[in-house]
Amino acid sequence: MRLFWSMVGVEVRKRMSYRVDFWINSVVGFVTELGVAWFIVLAMFSGADRVGGFSRDGMLLYYVAIILIARLVRSTDLEWAIADDIYQGALSRYLLYPVTYGVLKYATQIGALLPALVQVALFGAWVPFVLGIPEGVHLTPATVAMSAGAIVVANALHFLSTYPIQLVAFWADNCWSLLVAHRLIAMLFGGILLPLALFPAWSQPILNALPYRYMFAFPADALLGRLSVAEYAWGLGIAVAWCGIFAAVSAAVWRRGTLQYTGVGM
Amino acid sequence: MIRYLRLYGHFLRFSFSKAMEFRFDFFFRVFMDTLWYAHHLAFFWILYRHTTLLGGWTLDQMLVFAGGVFLADAIQMTLFSNNLWMLPNYVNKGDLDYYLVRPVSSLFFLSLRDFAANSFVNLMMAIGLFAWVLVRYPAPLGAGAIAVYVGLVLMGCVLHYTLQMIFTIPVFWLHTSGGLREVFWALDRYTGRPHGIFTGWVRKTLVSLLPFALIVSYPTMALFDGLTWTLFAHMAGVTAAAFLLMVWMWSRGLKVYASASS
Repeated sequence: MRLFWSMVGVEVRKRMSYRVDFWINSVVGFVTELGVAWFIVLAMFSGADRVGGFSRDGMLLYYVAIILIARLVRSTDLEWAIADDIYQGALSRYLLYPVTYGVLKYATQIGALLPALVQVALFGAWVPFVLGIPEGVHLTPATVAMSAGAIVVANALHFLSTYPIQLVAFWADNCWSLLVAHRLIAMLFGGILLPLALFPAWSQPILNALPYRYMFAFPADALLGRLSVAEYAWGLGIAVAWCGIFAAVSAAVWRRGTLQYTGVGM
Repeated sequence: MIRYLRLYGHFLRFSFSKAMEFRFDFFFRVFMDTLWYAHHLAFFWILYRHTTLLGGWTLDQMLVFAGGVFLADAIQMTLFSNNLWMLPNYVNKGDLDYYLVRPVSSLFFLSLRDFAANSFVNLMMAIGLFAWVLVRYPAPLGAGAIAVYVGLVLMGCVLHYTLQMIFTIPVFWLHTSGGLREVFWALDRYTGRPHGIFTGWVRKTLVSLLPFALIVSYPTMALFDGLTWTLFAHMAGVTAAAFLLMVWMWSRGLKVYASASS
């Protein structure tokens, strides 16, 4: 456990060392992502008062919430550090350490979260002053706590869902395309691109069964008070079950992959 | 000119033979791009279940816009993306020397050397989708209007490449891992959304200072509302100005480039 937290500390220091680069990318990324969503919402509501059960301000708040939550959940998803370790042969040194490689990499992801937490606090601070609390949104200390719990599970779920994809590097030369594909699927079915309430009714049971909702839309819905306690508990249970499934898949892929790993020159 | 075309022929041969060596990557990339098209179409399809007009366009018009986005993206991914991805590495590690000593334009060499053969399949798919959205459009569009549309989208592709370079070239001064590449990718989200949804100073910025809305939105507007000289002059003028700025930045960047210690 001490090693885990020491890896977290190393990653935090590393992340904060390129401050200008980090803040330029963060601010522009947040402003443009929110800007596109903002104008789409305004265009959608130009001829309607309610869309998919949302008021205009309610949907804007949903987008702010989900964009910020996604930063906490994704963390380092597109840095393909694990695939790189395998491909470059850097995995060899980790195999010699008396630690579990996946746990070390998860510690790195947790370390990368601290700057993201600072961003979320700063970028979220203006929301109550600009949007207020729209009708239909119930933001309370209880919903904040529920959302925090859902984010913790979502972060682990997201890491575990990308882990076996990165392990494909044992066989393939480059698996970044698969990670981008995963991100596209998660954005669509996780409710980042559009609130899941806008999807057709027939697709709702499928969306509820897939893991993506529990990565992004579920913590956002919990924060905005759109879930009952029973729905929350049920959703959290499904998310944990998906964590178990992805952990089992990862373990199997890891076993097969390390058997044929040859160090440098993959 | 002939020398440059011959050189580009060599680039193509080399790129295709390299792509065949990395077969997994080839198929993964085809899969990723296919998913990107589906992702985009699903977005508009779901959105239009709740509205009839978005930024003044119907679903059929929006699909034509999406076809243009696919085409522009596929051209960017096939011709330029691999090259521009590697450029910051060359600058930071001093590998640019190899390109600077060649008896051809370094900008030409670095921008076009690696033809992404694995994205070529996607370019074919994008052309197919582009043709499909035009054919399924409920009203006749006219061959002339379509030809103008294709021409303007190609001009948009030049602008897209130019903008990406403008955000990558600062690596000469910043020495970060990608210049301002992340900023470019963030702003590039505006390329995939119709400019009609934006209002006020945001719209003005997106057709002038940060002209992402010119890449596909303006060509689509020309297709549906007719090409005017003002629209053409605006798009050509901004593209030319951006290109000149990029060439100027490139020459300034090369002046501060200090090889391996850069």
